[in-house]
Amino acid sequence: MNCQKAQVLMSAAVDCELTVKEEEGFLLHLSECKECKDEFEDAKKTKMIIKEKIVQFKAPQSLFNSIMELTSASSVER
Amino acid sequence: MDNPDPTRKVTPKTKKESLSKEERQKQLEFQKEAVVHLNSLYNYALHLTMNPSDAEDLVQETYLKAYRFFNSFERGTNCKAWLFKILKNNYINRFRKNSKEPGKVDYDLIKDFYHSIKDVQNDTSEAESDYFHSLLHEEVHQALHSLPEEFREVIQLCDIDGFTYEEIANMVESPIGTVRSRLYRGRKLLREQLEGYAKKYGFNTDKDQ
Repeated sequence: MNCQKAQVLMSAAVDCELTVKEEEGFLLHLSECKECKDEFEDAKKTKMIIKEKIVQFKAPQSLFNSIMELTSASSVER
Repeated sequence: MDNPDPTRKVTPKTKKESLSKEERQKQLEFQKEAVVHLNSLYNYALHLTMNPSDAEDLVQETYLKAYRFFNSFERGTNCKAWLFKILKNNYINRFRKNSKEPGKVDYDLIKDFYHSIKDVQNDTSEAESDYFHSLLHEEVHQALHSLPEEFREVIQLCDIDGFTYEEIANMVESPIGTVRSRLYRGRKLLREQLEGYAKKYGFNTDKDQ
């Protein structure tokens, strides 16, 4: 596997979306190529940062209430 | 006589109850399958619209539509993915018609979003030298939103909402290979942005030093 092929697989490797065979080739390439290994570590880190730092907001209670209303209101219509 | 005739009341009531029993079952299932994803949907809508009131509208529309077509939801498949797809379609139809400015970000709004949580953010227990830990929520948010939409979208669906590549491919209507490469390039762009912030604030991003 060359660097170009490894880059194609990089994101899928981060997300554990590689097939067993792809993963084998990918890991083998990383063991021989520091550049790709570093990039892989960086990509994993980037994913972590997004997961940790992007805050999920709680939906407003009023929105929850109106959705509960919407779903029951449409049953009355029928 | 003011006393209501019991026999007259019973007939319509029984009829109504048997109808609503079916509906009630649908409601319960809908709540269990769909309404539980409200927070995720709301956040997705926030990211798309960057406006809390538009986000609420979008989520409401989505749930209304989803409820109406709940029978066509394939049981056993990922309901969250199904809802996201509906929301995305609604968004495209409704909010993108007029605006031809994707990627335009209201930074004041982001500041508002994060204002309330900023105080909680001040624990710098982690090693100061690791600039990633020093990044603020709003910086990561800004960096994410500075990306072209096609990249931001897949990153969000993958890293925040935890969808599989197959689900994402279905949502963005592109092959899995495209999802892979967008994630790769998107993450790379994002990293560059974040390193830019780190440099601006005087953190050393050079690993060898």
